[in-house]
Amino acid sequence: MTSQMFGAPVKRREDPRLVTGGGRYLDDLGHSALAAAFVRSPHAHARIVDIEVSDALDVDGLVGIWTHEDLPGRVGEPLPLLIPHPTLTHGRTQFALARDEVNYVGEAVVMVVARDRYVAEDVCQRIRVDYELLTPVVGIANARDGSALVHDDVPGNVACRMLQEVGDVDAAIAAAPHTLELDLDIERSACMPMEGKGVLARWDSDKGELRIFSSTQTSTGVRAAVAAKLDLPLAKVECIAPDVGGGFGVKINHPWPEEVLIPWAARLLDQEVKWTEDRREHFISSAHERGQLQQIRVGFDDDGRVLGLDVKFWHDNGAYTPYGIIVPIITSTQLLGPYKPGAYRCEFWSLYTNTVLVTPYRGAGRPQGCFAMERTMDAIADRLGLDRAEVRSRNFILPSEMPYDHGLLFQDGRPLKYDSGDFPASLAKLKALVGWDDFAAYREQAEAEGRRVGLGIGCYVEGTGVGPYEGGHIQIETSGRVNVSTGLTSQGQGHETSFAQIVAQELGVSIEDVFVTTGDTRRMPYAVGTFASRAAVMSGNAIALAARNVRAKALRIAADALEVSAEDLEIVDGDIRVKGAPGTHMTLGTVSVMSNPLRYAFDEAAKAATQFAGTADYSKPPVADDDEPGLEGKDFYSPTQATFANGMHAAIVETDPVTAEVKILRYCVIHDCGTMINPMIVEGQVHGGVAQGVGGALYERMVYDDSGQLLNASFMDFLMPYASEVPHIETDHLETPSPLNPLGIKGAGEAGCIPVTAVIASAISDAEGFAITSMPISPVELWELRQRHARGEIPSLRGTRHTPSAPVTSAPVTSAPSTPSREAP
Amino acid sequence: MRPVSYAVPASVDEALAAIADLPGAKFLGGGTNLVDLMREGIEAPDVLVDVTRLPLAEITETADGGLRIGSGVRNTDLAAHPLLRGRYPVVAQAVVMGASGQIRNMATVGGNLLQRTRCLYFYDQAAACNKRERGAGCDAAAGHNRMGAILGASEHCVAVHPSDLAVALVLLDAQVEVVSRSGTRTISVGDFHRLPGQTPDVDTTLAADELVTAVLLPPEPLALRSRYRKVRDRASYAFALVSVAAALEVRDDSVTQVRVALGGVAHKPWRATVLEEQLTGRSATDEEFERAARAELAQAVGGPDTEFKIGLAVRTITATLRRLRDEGGAA
Repeated sequence: MTSQMFGAPVKRREDPRLVTGGGRYLDDLGHSALAAAFVRSPHAHARIVDIEVSDALDVDGLVGIWTHEDLPGRVGEPLPLLIPHPTLTHGRTQFALARDEVNYVGEAVVMVVARDRYVAEDVCQRIRVDYELLTPVVGIANARDGSALVHDDVPGNVACRMLQEVGDVDAAIAAAPHTLELDLDIERSACMPMEGKGVLARWDSDKGELRIFSSTQTSTGVRAAVAAKLDLPLAKVECIAPDVGGGFGVKINHPWPEEVLIPWAARLLDQEVKWTEDRREHFISSAHERGQLQQIRVGFDDDGRVLGLDVKFWHDNGAYTPYGIIVPIITSTQLLGPYKPGAYRCEFWSLYTNTVLVTPYRGAGRPQGCFAMERTMDAIADRLGLDRAEVRSRNFILPSEMPYDHGLLFQDGRPLKYDSGDFPASLAKLKALVGWDDFAAYREQAEAEGRRVGLGIGCYVEGTGVGPYEGGHIQIETSGRVNVSTGLTSQGQGHETSFAQIVAQELGVSIEDVFVTTGDTRRMPYAVGTFASRAAVMSGNAIALAARNVRAKALRIAADALEVSAEDLEIVDGDIRVKGAPGTHMTLGTVSVMSNPLRYAFDEAAKAATQFAGTADYSKPPVADDDEPGLEGKDFYSPTQATFANGMHAAIVETDPVTAEVKILRYCVIHDCGTMINPMIVEGQVHGGVAQGVGGALYERMVYDDSGQLLNASFMDFLMPYASEVPHIETDHLETPSPLNPLGIKGAGEAGCIPVTAVIASAISDAEGFAITSMPISPVELWELRQRHARGEIPSLRGTRHTPSAPVTSAPVTSAPSTPSREAP
Repeated sequence: MRPVSYAVPASVDEALAAIADLPGAKFLGGGTNLVDLMREGIEAPDVLVDVTRLPLAEITETADGGLRIGSGVRNTDLAAHPLLRGRYPVVAQAVVMGASGQIRNMATVGGNLLQRTRCLYFYDQAAACNKRERGAGCDAAAGHNRMGAILGASEHCVAVHPSDLAVALVLLDAQVEVVSRSGTRTISVGDFHRLPGQTPDVDTTLAADELVTAVLLPPEPLALRSRYRKVRDRASYAFALVSVAAALEVRDDSVTQVRVALGGVAHKPWRATVLEEQLTGRSATDEEFERAARAELAQAVGGPDTEFKIGLAVRTITATLRRLRDEGGAA
């Protein structure tokens, strides 16, 4: 038998290439291309009065300078609003180059193309743009206040107000024995892939064809958008995503201004043109996420069961809404996690600010929702003096209630209906893994040693694998090489391995013979893209279906040739043989030869396949009426709804009594993404997600000043966690297969980061004895909260445990110990 | 556009000739700081004189048992050198706690000493900075400035020197060997960097036509009992809020020898002479360590964003000395 591939922890086949410098990323391509650079707005909100380029024109190597007035036709129109929504009443998008007004620091104003990037940057420095400054709107509170406007024609800065309600929330809360209110705050962060964005365009003037390479999460999307903008037939545009060094969401928004302008310039100049984003550009002109203020009102019974949940939140969508309101919709629906409140209402406002756009970042609105729900669960437990895990479990949707319809509309406009999941089992596993019931004793011992520790928990459900569809195409060459293609793109997730595992398993071939191509519109023109933890579910199933098609065809041809019934055949390691009689066999390569009657012989295999070879039945055509030449199969997978993965995390943290440094002692993950294709890849995804989550919980924030300048736009100042900050992650899996797709799988890409902020907030609250309501939290902030708590400005948790003694003020020292202290190993 | 020319001298003499004769010339080592500064428009040399191919990358033992470290030695090679690790652990520790692996692979010893401040306002062309332009003013003094100086600052500058290596070298009374066409001289590391005073644009006492050729570490048995501790926002690739280089000898529970130098607190590596004087001969207790540390920091001046560094420095010094004592400072 061919060894079991599906479900095996196969090492990622792409890694040796990627980690030894064999990858071909965007900037590795187009060595002789002209280079583009952009003059970007230094102001958050201003009117463009004048652009003066005369000082720049004599720079040697300059090819061209363009401002908005140079952009013809649709290139000069606003960029598309990709995902309209009925409640997005005031959607606004930017121009590829700003026309009259700039709305965030970093908005592109002038494009320069030159011999190389050095020259282009020099030219940019010589271009003078005069601005008339307008009042910038920075921060959700200022946006909500509405006294200054980002867009003159958008009253109150409200892009969208959306309300969904299931049941009668006001009545449910009014009748509830207990009520609580929470005000929560979560900061901005950003994807920060190792590779920024980048575009390379080649215009073939002989054929009138455009080839675009983009570091994108959707090559079909970029292709269609550019064809439309440049008024080219789709057939004359192709788009390829080369190796992409991470996306995490920021590269699903499209077309970015540069994705329109670079191809346009390449055609205009009839030369190859490239733009590679630098890190500062990425900070100030690629999208951010997170960033919400939340108000929660909850009514619950004596057992902690939620009777009514009323959520209002204000979402900072930055200056424009090209990706619609996907992020806040996800927050508003996925907030519910594994729970079933008696009645639920969520109202949100998506607000404009004079900051760079907000589009999905790994987790895409879910970390915010999870934070709201899980802080609420902790608050309920504290109010009632109940165990936090117990309160959660009393609110769980039970396996017997699956599929569970929340009565809400999800991000795809379809019902929010969970397909499967066993939340009580997940919680039991988590409690066992972290030692939930032994924690009280551990804490007692730690406190006796003068250490302050806390245990936190967070649960989430993630809608994954949203539609509408993906396709898979498989073609087997006469050598036995299996070419697999799917249209969505890869940014390092291991698709070359996991998709190959599916094909190896379905076809019965060795994984070494399987070659996967993603994100190339020449190979698979119909595709959507990589986002929403959808690649394995969508393309994985499409590829499996395609493999089943090609397998059926191979067996049919072999059965004919071997004069046996197809049901009696099996494929082992690329060899088709009669079950129980392995002496009667032929390879898939041979079947591929036979499947394609040739006119010309160019090698031995081809000679065997020519129409003159062997005996022929002259009554039949070489290719039967209902058949096609070649050994290939293709299929699409289009589900009726998303699959819902889930997970539960717990962490034990220690907070330094003097410095308020937060140290994660243990981090435990129970993860259920249905049937796993490759548990090693799933764990890698979870680890990376947790690492990003730790960044969002303790380190990363976008520090804008009042004038809308991003103060920490560098890796020196924007603290991403390094290996030294990421805890050892203990993982256990539960596999509740999805009933929705042939492989029983659910997505895993975003899972790891979703609950981390909630979990760490829960653990710090538990350690400190007062509720943490704003994240991320730095040692300085925690230290200040301690002072406020000591002054009685922040109430103590009632809970079941005593509050630790007042913060140790290092008495002999005159000053505030307000800094994290960490020593390198 | 600023064209920059590039010269690769074949000998030290050629390098010295280039720096003396070519207007706007600057020496280029690993480029990990200078190239950044050029990108930011802070430095604008006309000629880069690349000194990394000169024969200055050797570490050799001196006749008296010290070490002579060529100025072109890469930080990675320095930290990995067995003699350095064995005899001067504080130096090796300081080096590996600086920057990142990639940067240390490029950065040289000479360049490390000559790197410029990381003060955000020095980097921000829109801000006033006396270090960039004498007399321009200092926006850092009243700005967001967690990294600012608490010792030895002047009204003209609150920047700190970012080197970790230099702090360890100051602890060990190392000498800097420099040459110019008029000859060779040595400068004590403690005198190599300056306090800002009226002229914060001048970082060091090195003359414009001088080239650093080596750092000389004297033989120092006390260095065997030395340690570097660095406190920062992230455990790697971050500059010090406060760092402490310390060496301690304890006999019969008394401090017989102690040296402490601080990083991240002043315009130069700060040798804690007050502490050393007060602690020598005292009993090696936590209380004495802390008392002496506080005495050293008595002269510190904090601002709204830097007040915390005073207490942090006291505690970090105390903790470092305690650790040295506990792990065997006794002779």
